[in-house]
Parts: sequence; C-alpha cells; structure tokens
Amino acid sequence: MLPTIGHAAIVVALALTLYAALAFWLGARRNDRAAVASGRAAMTGAFALTAIASVALMASLLTHDFSIAYVARNNATTTPPFYSVISLWAALEGSILFWALLLTGWSALLLHRYRDRHAELMPWVGLTLALGSAFFFAVMTWPGNPFERLTPVPGEGNGPNALLQNNPFMGLHPPLLYLGYTGMAIPFAFGMAALVTGRTGPEWLAIVRRWTVIPWIFLTAGIVAGAWWSYEVLGWGGYWAWDPVENAALLPWLTATAFIHSSMVAERRGGLRTWTMALVVFTYVLTLVGTFLTRSGVVASVHAFTASAIGPWFAVAILVALAGGLGLLLWRLPNLADRDVAPNAVSRESAFLLNNVLFLGLTFVVLFGTLLPMIVEGATGDRISVGAPYFNAINAPLFGALLFLMGIGPALPWGGASWRTIRDRFGGPLLLAVGAALVGVLLGMRGLPQLGTLFLAILVLGILGDELIRGARSRGRSRGETPPTAAWRLATRNRRRYGGYVVHAGICVMAIAVAVSATGASQASATLHIGESMKVGGYTLTLRDVVVEPLRDDPRVTETRAELDYRGSQSGALVTAQRDYPNSTTPIATPGVRTFATEDLYVTLLQADASGGTASLQVFRNPLVAWIWLGGFVVVVGAVFAVWPDRRRAVVVAPAPAREAPASVQVTGA
Amino acid sequence: MRSNLRWLLLPALLLPLGWLLFVNIGADPRTIPSQIICRSLPAFSLTTLDGDTFTDADLAGRPAVINFWASWCGPCVAEHPVLLDVASVAGGSVQLVGVVYQDRPASAAGWLRRYGDGGWPDLVDDGNLALDFGVTGPPETYFVDADGIVRDRVVGPLTTQSMRDGLHEIGVDLS
Repeated sequence: MLPTIGHAAIVVALALTLYAALAFWLGARRNDRAAVASGRAAMTGAFALTAIASVALMASLLTHDFSIAYVARNNATTTPPFYSVISLWAALEGSILFWALLLTGWSALLLHRYRDRHAELMPWVGLTLALGSAFFFAVMTWPGNPFERLTPVPGEGNGPNALLQNNPFMGLHPPLLYLGYTGMAIPFAFGMAALVTGRTGPEWLAIVRRWTVIPWIFLTAGIVAGAWWSYEVLGWGGYWAWDPVENAALLPWLTATAFIHSSMVAERRGGLRTWTMALVVFTYVLTLVGTFLTRSGVVASVHAFTASAIGPWFAVAILVALAGGLGLLLWRLPNLADRDVAPNAVSRESAFLLNNVLFLGLTFVVLFGTLLPMIVEGATGDRISVGAPYFNAINAPLFGALLFLMGIGPALPWGGASWRTIRDRFGGPLLLAVGAALVGVLLGMRGLPQLGTLFLAILVLGILGDELIRGARSRGRSRGETPPTAAWRLATRNRRRYGGYVVHAGICVMAIAVAVSATGASQASATLHIGESMKVGGYTLTLRDVVVEPLRDDPRVTETRAELDYRGSQSGALVTAQRDYPNSTTPIATPGVRTFATEDLYVTLLQADASGGTASLQVFRNPLVAWIWLGGFVVVVGAVFAVWPDRRRAVVVAPAPAREAPASVQVTGA
Repeated sequence: MRSNLRWLLLPALLLPLGWLLFVNIGADPRTIPSQIICRSLPAFSLTTLDGDTFTDADLAGRPAVINFWASWCGPCVAEHPVLLDVASVAGGSVQLVGVVYQDRPASAAGWLRRYGDGGWPDLVDDGNLALDFGVTGPPETYFVDADGIVRDRVVGPLTTQSMRDGLHEIGVDLS
C-alpha cells in the first residue's frame, strides 16, 4: 500500500510541476494573474505530494518493508530506527526524493512569500523552479524510482552503508548540504526571470542577494559539518581530503561567495553585471555537477553512490541548464553592459574585483583538479587521481590573498581612497598583526604558511574590530549611547555590513586553525601489548584492555575496542574501535577523539588481537582543530545575523501588529 | 561582428562539457587505481597448505597469476572454475598461486577438497602479503609478468574474459 501511494504521489507531482510550468508560462505571456496563482498552487501541491512520498519511504524503512528494492538494499531488520529514518538520504533513489522535497519546499516558500510582489518577475521564477523540479520527478518516475518493487521479497535486507551508519552526524550533514544545493535554484530562477524580462537592473539583485545568502548559510554549514563528519568517522586524522565530492560542494560555494560580493558592486555601482549574472548560472550548474559526480559513477570517491542509469539524465540536465542560462545571458548581453565605472585603483570596487578574480582562480583550480581524472579517463582510459598536494600547493596562496582582501576590502571607501584614509584605517591593525607574528615567532612558530596566515588573520580581525569600534564611538558620541549599546544598535541597523564582518572574523579563526593544524600536527603509530605505553606529542598512552563484543544497539555489528589511558597536559581515558559490519568487507574505524581548546588527541585503531592482547594504534596530536568548527559556527551566526529580517521589513512581510514597537513604526511599503 | 561571435561561446563550452559528462558514464566508481600496478612483486616467504615453503624467488622468470581467496568467500566459489580451466590448459606457461586470506588452513583445505584442487600452491598468508598487494577483500587477483612486475588486477570474481585480458597483459595468450 505505502509504495503504491508513494509512487503515485511522485507521478502526480511530475504532472503538477509540468502543469505549473505551463500555467506560469501562460501567466507570463498573457499577464494572467489567475494562471500564475494556479501555477503557485500546483507547486505547493507538488511539495505536499513529495512530503507524502518521503513519509511513505521513511515509514517503509522503519517497518523494514523489503518488498521495496531501496529498503532491501539500504535497511535490515536490526537497523536502529534513527538510521532507518535517515536512510531516506543515504543512497541514490532516496536522496533524489529528498532533493525533490527540499527543492519543491524552497519553491513553494518563495512563490508564496512573493505572491504579491514583483509581478513581472515571479511567473518566470516559477517557470524555472517548476521545470527544475519536474526534472527530479521525471528521474524518479523513470530511471531512479525509489519505490521500485522487488520479487521475491527477501527475508532480510542488506543494511545501510556501513560508513553511513557509524555516526549520528550523518543525520545532519547531508540535509544541510542539500538545503544549500537546492536553495541555489532560487537565485538561478531569479536570474533567468531577469534575463527573460530584460529587468536586469537592481530589482532582482536586491532579492537574490538575500536568497543566495540563505542557501549559502546551509551550504557553508553542510561543508563544515561534512569536514567534521570526515574527521570523526573516517579515522585518518584529517578533515578535508580534496575528494571529488567534497570539491563538488566547495565549487558552488566558491561561485556563490563570489556572487555575494560581486552583486554588491552590481547593486551599488552598476558594475560587474554580466559577470554577476554568469556567477548565478555557474553556481546552479555546479550544484547539478555535484549531484552528477556522486550519482553517475564517473569519479572514485567515498561519497559515490552505485553506478546507475540516471547519469545520462543528469548530464543532459546540466547541458540544458548551462545552455539555457548562458544562451539567455548572451542574448541580453547588450542590456547588461556595465555603467561606466572607472574606479580608483585603491577602492572598494577594485578590492571586490580582485576578490572575484581570486574566487574564479580557486574555482578553476578546484574544478580542473576534480575534472582532470575524468578527462584523462575519457581520453586514454586510465584512472588517475589528483591528490591533496596539488590542491594545497596551488590554493594556499590564493586563500592567503583572499584573506588579505577580506580585511582591507570592507575598510576601503567606494570610489577611491586617499593616503590619509589608508594610514588611519590600516596603521593600527598593521602594527597589531606584526606584533602577533613576532609573538608567533617567540612561541616557536616557523615557516611562511603559519606565520603568514597568523599575520593576515590578525590584520583582518584588527581592521574589522577597528571598523566596529570607530563606528560605535561616533554613534555613541552623537547620540549619547554607551559603547556596547551603540555597537549593538549600529550592527542591527546595518545587518548586512556587520554580519559580513562577523563572517569574515569566523573565516579568520578557521584560517588560523587550518594553517596551524595542517602544519603543527604530530603523529606516531605503534603496536602495544596490554599494559605497554607509547608517547606522542607530549602525551603518554597506555593500553588498558582489548575487547571484542557485539554492538549494543545493533548486534550484527562486532566491535573491536581498545581502551586506553592518556596522560599529558590533559589526562583521562578514551576508547578507539573498529566495527565489522556484515555488509562491509573492511572494518569501519571509530576513532577516539578528545577535544581540548588547544589541541585534539586523536587515536585510530589499525588492528587488534583480543586473544593476544595487542592493538596497533595510530595517534595524532592535532592542534587547534576545535577552532575550525568554532570558526565555522561564527561564520554561520554572522550570515544569519546579516539576513535576519530587520524590524521594519518584518512588519511589511507579516502585517500582524508589532509586539513592542510603537504604532508609528508600522510603516507599510518599503 | 562582436554580437554574432559571442554565440560561439555556447558550443565552445557545451561540446567539451557534453563529451566529458557522457564519456565516463557507467564506469564503476569503486575501481580505485591500485598502487601496486607496474611495480615489482613484493618479497615474501610463506608456507603452503601442503607445508612447503614458497617465496617470491619461486616465481622468477615465469608469468604468474596470484589469487587471494578464502573458504568463507562466496564469490570465490563462483570464480574457481575459471582458475581450474586455466590450470588445465596453461601447462607450464603460467604459474598459478593461491593465497589464503584471513582463513584457517583446515577450512581452506576442506574447501579445496570440495570444489576441486587444481594442484597449484596455496600460500597461508599472515596478512602481510595481502597488505603489500593492497587487497581490499577476496576474491582479488593479480597478474605478474615474467620480470616480476605486477601488470593487472581484478577485484571480485574472475570471469573468462577478465582472466583472458589479465593473461594477455602478462604476455600469455591461451587459445
């Protein structure tokens, strides 16, 4: 029953999205508001049906209904309920259903929010979103049906991918990432609408900046969560491997970040408009490339789903999106010609321009490294892999330059800066940064990468702090507010600007932590008998016991566990394990990680023999890793602060009476 | 002029991208390149199931097929006839070697009695040889040429075709 309902919901949703596309098209051509409203209702209906299909699949997973091929492949009777539920996005067909759920959800939300505004743009926005959604329903109707039946019905399923059921973080990382990916359809839809209607002025940019930052927040959180997952689960002691699929998430993040910056120039000064539009197209196409890479079998990766028949479908969709986007862009090229801006060399415009050049450079480096194995294999049939040294060597200086721009860009005035301004704004922070670098040298830091990063990050933090203090002081003086009040009011009245500063500060924290943890780690490996000790990075680890027993919440899984005591600047006990899943040929590492403010102690079990009482361990002391996650959190908080609706606008959107505001604040129409 | 030329950008971007997207579709994402291909056979000295000592020197000067298997491995049963076929026609042109992977020698010997012993040596591995080869799980087969260089690797059960291709790589063509 459930599979029938689920499948029917998908087929009807396909029909509804196609109908919505037609209705939006007619609505746009004939300026027919009723048709547009009907298209909007159809998109909401498609979202509701996708939700029904998703619940049907989740329920089938929870009840272990192995008559569905997807459930038989990715679930077993012993799978804990939590992992049954999140199996919705743990494999190919389910992840497409989940993708469609989020995409139609974003679409319905957006179309509803802007139902009374931007009447020229919205039908075309709806049309783009409807076609984009229809594609996913078509994939689920034909090659990737999540409700495909299996006969004869097996008595037991294969169980979820062992790697994916080893850590509850699996419940968080993909949804965040998918929310980011699918949300990038919104700026693309607005871009297409702007191009079709020829309304390529500031109108669409104002909406789209906000609607790019929102999915950008999810994408950022998803990438950081993915790095965390990789660190906590994979047991190799690192968090970023330049895996093709990690790169696939990073690529749209780079272009979206470039867009957020270039759109400021387009909006404020009328420059970089063609470029900004192209970034919107590339970002969307790159999200599709990301899904293609994971789902078509073209790259070797821990993330790759099984090779499947949907590869060609995604390849065609990528080509159509790129051809459509670029075609419209080329058609409208004359309209997009930049207003004549010839900025001073030292100005905020040129900082933004340079920022975009660097982001483009990073995108190209990552894209080239990711696609090169595909090009080589296509041309010669050989499988090669491009490793971390390539990415690290080329990207590190680009990231360094970006870090520098991050600080000076926001402090430079539009138009041009005088020497006096430069001296006033950068003198103090520069001294601070030189001081920090000297302290770094005294503390024993060597090598250009760490010292350079420390110098740049402190410079940026100094400039940002100086900006805030300067603004707060002048506000406090003119309005008689205390400095903290003045700073808070200043920030909440310029959310975009000060939210952006917080994001930059978070990136600086991450940059320092990445540079130090990448170069300052120490590691050692040894085989210990019970009672023996090893030393690494100031810690002494003693093997207390080796235990083999079935896992409590899934007895099919055998856990081999080494119990250790560690002594050093911190002391305590930790456990590191390997888990043998019946559906995995290799045991899955479950590293033991102890996180402190200054460093992580990270222990992976390589091999253990319970009868002989020995364990082979690999131990890492990774400095400052916790600050990477903390920096990522600061980035997300800053971005949320930047897009948080301010009070005046909130009243416009939701015409309910404002709770605390006096009546005079309830202005309408902004 | 400029307004027309700009349209060349579309095919210039789309055609290479289209080629790139379609050319690799259907490839198996799990075939990660093996480290050992084009390198020398690692040195080893192991005991066979019959109790003899067998070392890498015993393979010198002759092409060899090294097959990692275990009695607990289902696909190993499926591929076994392919190995028996080669053993029956190859004569002295190629040396077959089995390596028992994470298994008890008694179980392995019982398995051979049940499914047929082709007469080639089966080495009992302490785990190190599999590590040296980078074995991910049985069955896995490596093709080594007469100079002792590993030339090809098949992950998963052998088929007549993959066996023939592997042998071809090490200069053995059985008709």
